[in-house]
Amino acid sequence: MSVNVADSPFPTEQGTDEPNPESYLDAGYGLRSWLTTHDHKRIAILYALAITFFFFAGGLAAALMRLELISPNGSLMSAEAYNKTFTFHGVVMVWFFLIPSIPATLGNFLLPLMIGARDVAFPRLNLFSWYLYITGGLFTIACLLFGGVDTGWTFYTPFSTMFSNSNVMLTVVGVFIVGFSSILTGLNFIVTIHAMRAHGMTWFRLPLFVWSMYGVSLVMVLATPVLAMTLALIGLERLLGVGIFDPALGGDPLLFQHFFWFYSHPAVYIMILPAMGVASELITAAVRRRIFGYSFMVYSILGIAVIGFLVWGHHMFVSGQSMYASIVFSILSFIVAVPSAIKVFNWTATLYKGDITFGAPMLYALGFVGLFMLGGLTGLFLAATALDVNLTDTYFVVAHFHYIMVGGSVMAYLGGIHFWWPKITGRLYSEAWARFAAIVMFFGFNLTFFPQYLLGYEGMPRRYHVYPPQFQVLNVLSSAGATILAVSYLLPLAYLLWSLRYGPRAGANPWRAKGLEWQTSSPPPVHNFDQTPTVTEGPYLYDESP
Amino acid sequence: MSPRSHRSGPKPPSLVVNLVVLAALLGFLALTVGTAYINMGPANVVANVGIAVAKAILVLTFYMRLKSDSPLFRIVAVSGFAWLAVLIALSLADLLTRPA
Amino acid sequence: MSTTPTAVQFDDAVQQREAATLGMWTFISTEILFFGVLFAAYTLCRTRFPEAFAEGSRHTDVLLGTAETAVLLISSCLVAVAVREVQLGGQRIATWLIAATAALGVCFLTMHGFEYVSEYHEGLVPAIRYTQSGPSAGQMEIFFCLYYFITGFHGLHVTIGVIVLLVMARRTHRGDFDQDYHTPLEMSALYWHLVDIVWIFVFPLIYLIGRSG
Repeated sequence: MSVNVADSPFPTEQGTDEPNPESYLDAGYGLRSWLTTHDHKRIAILYALAITFFFFAGGLAAALMRLELISPNGSLMSAEAYNKTFTFHGVVMVWFFLIPSIPATLGNFLLPLMIGARDVAFPRLNLFSWYLYITGGLFTIACLLFGGVDTGWTFYTPFSTMFSNSNVMLTVVGVFIVGFSSILTGLNFIVTIHAMRAHGMTWFRLPLFVWSMYGVSLVMVLATPVLAMTLALIGLERLLGVGIFDPALGGDPLLFQHFFWFYSHPAVYIMILPAMGVASELITAAVRRRIFGYSFMVYSILGIAVIGFLVWGHHMFVSGQSMYASIVFSILSFIVAVPSAIKVFNWTATLYKGDITFGAPMLYALGFVGLFMLGGLTGLFLAATALDVNLTDTYFVVAHFHYIMVGGSVMAYLGGIHFWWPKITGRLYSEAWARFAAIVMFFGFNLTFFPQYLLGYEGMPRRYHVYPPQFQVLNVLSSAGATILAVSYLLPLAYLLWSLRYGPRAGANPWRAKGLEWQTSSPPPVHNFDQTPTVTEGPYLYDESP
Repeated sequence: MSPRSHRSGPKPPSLVVNLVVLAALLGFLALTVGTAYINMGPANVVANVGIAVAKAILVLTFYMRLKSDSPLFRIVAVSGFAWLAVLIALSLADLLTRPA
Repeated sequence: MSTTPTAVQFDDAVQQREAATLGMWTFISTEILFFGVLFAAYTLCRTRFPEAFAEGSRHTDVLLGTAETAVLLISSCLVAVAVREVQLGGQRIATWLIAATAALGVCFLTMHGFEYVSEYHEGLVPAIRYTQSGPSAGQMEIFFCLYYFITGFHGLHVTIGVIVLLVMARRTHRGDFDQDYHTPLEMSALYWHLVDIVWIFVFPLIYLIGRSG
């Protein structure tokens, strides 16, 4: 897009040796300047540090699980310990990594930049959201230290309310608090996008990443309150033993499941919509082309956000839900796949006959598209009630959602981190190591999770630490893959951190990408732009002459 | 002049309008309590909820200025109620169609 | 002309008010969903146990409940007129109206406090003091569980509202607001109206079931 800004003082696009004197990173060095900041860019980094910690904590739990599952006899840990491990893995990965990951890090950093604003609408609320996240995290860690919780991240009743002897209350309080972090972030983003776009930045000139932030914020704001009160009801039942959810006392466990999944299904769209936004940015930059079908991409984001609220019953096909309700939810679950499919077609069409540069971000983006598509297709299997009766609660479901969350969201997150690393840190990472890590990750991921589709199809149940010996080969393959995957996550940690000190300094726009964030220096100044830009054209207007 | 051009929001309703709305609200209150003591079968629930909705609409439209402020706020307010309706409707659909 | 400057992230005061109002309405939407879950639980449980819910409702104090509803409706009117006053340049009357709104809020809480006390004595507090017997006592316990949760959660919101209104009354008295800038007062009033709307739904659903013969 064409922009009127004051002449940039940094005209070179290659790395320079001079540090940027006005950078937001130089506006105060002590811990206090970070912990009391109102700058959305610093808050983004605070979030990034915290979620990286939780990612590796949840990953450690996964490593223990995969270690245990190498042998069919459950030799490493007791059943109860295994239950606590997969619960910790789920709780941490869902609420403390996936849900905040792209919105709270890349979203916080990039949203004001992409729309030409100086900050988000409510900067102090933004910082408060981070403190809420940390508080929730502390409760979860406390729960672990006090012996963990064994209900599964889904807290199904009446086990969680009446029978579990583990630290349900601590976890429930921790997740309740972190939910507010989500809600306030969503609220901040909605207001920012509505009220603070630069002159000329009309809705249909917004980059798709901004649209995805808008969609995800709508879901966060409308779904998370329901989770909060559902957790409160669990707490109430556990404290008072009244039996709203306990069938022995006349209650209804499905009541809990309806409320829980009303949030938790849209939650998975919270996890994927930002990844889709990132993918659109990465692909257009690597092909140097407009996205194919921009308005369909926008309507798909909104469609996913809305229809995603209407499908939650597909988690309850075998729980005792009425057959008629199940049919309705099944049909809606097929419908929700359509906008996602449109997006996959449009990314592919964007690549068609394009001149593609295969940098690390693009490798991650391509991995995202392929793996998301595989995961999404298996979702259709599960949406069919007749198939789901056999596949539910097996490893097929586990493979399905890991393809989307790990093959999809995590790869997109890493792709985004790489793509915007020069902008955020002012440094360039090692392209060779980054490409290597991306390829190892793709290989490790598929080796870990593809066998799980087969295991599920053959009937191995999830959340079991022992299994019939005929499943061992596939389990060993999966655990081997997990080892490779773990290494591939450690690699970026290493070379990205290394680049902070030793990487060449980045210019304002090392990828020669379109987008307002590239029109300011790397790293940006505290108030983002020396002069608020005026926008006159739409996004991704790369020069398309051959 | 667009309703948002004035720095402090749209023109407020007159004092009379405020008091008339209050009279209507209190009237609805009397109505809902009164009809509760008459046995109308399932119509009792309908009446009670219907009157509550009417009261809420009065408060939203006049006291909360939804009528005179930006249409965006109306959409936001409706969304909250609409999503709640979805939660209740589909959950109830399950409950009411289970085999006895 | 108000001397309150526009916050640095905003271009001008119009954008600031627009952002604040949109933020507050979005927050109100989330509150509708917070309370909404409790209303949904209520709806689904009442569908399963209509008689037990009716019996539970008959134990509530309809006189106090009606009075509380009237108090909140009047307080809504008062704070709406207060905002109008400030918008038209007033200060003194507005201050008293806001303080009166807060006072009515305290009145509401006190009346409800009396209700809780008498319900305790009657043995209607699940798991703490519940002395009901009979075939639907267990299901009625669920009614009272929801009753305390909904009214308690609502009472928490009323308390927060009272504190916020008292702060607003003080700020109005000090002259912090004028015709051009009174956004915090406007937003506080919106919050108070939300508290009122929640009670508008709570009242018939809790107090008015099964009152007819």
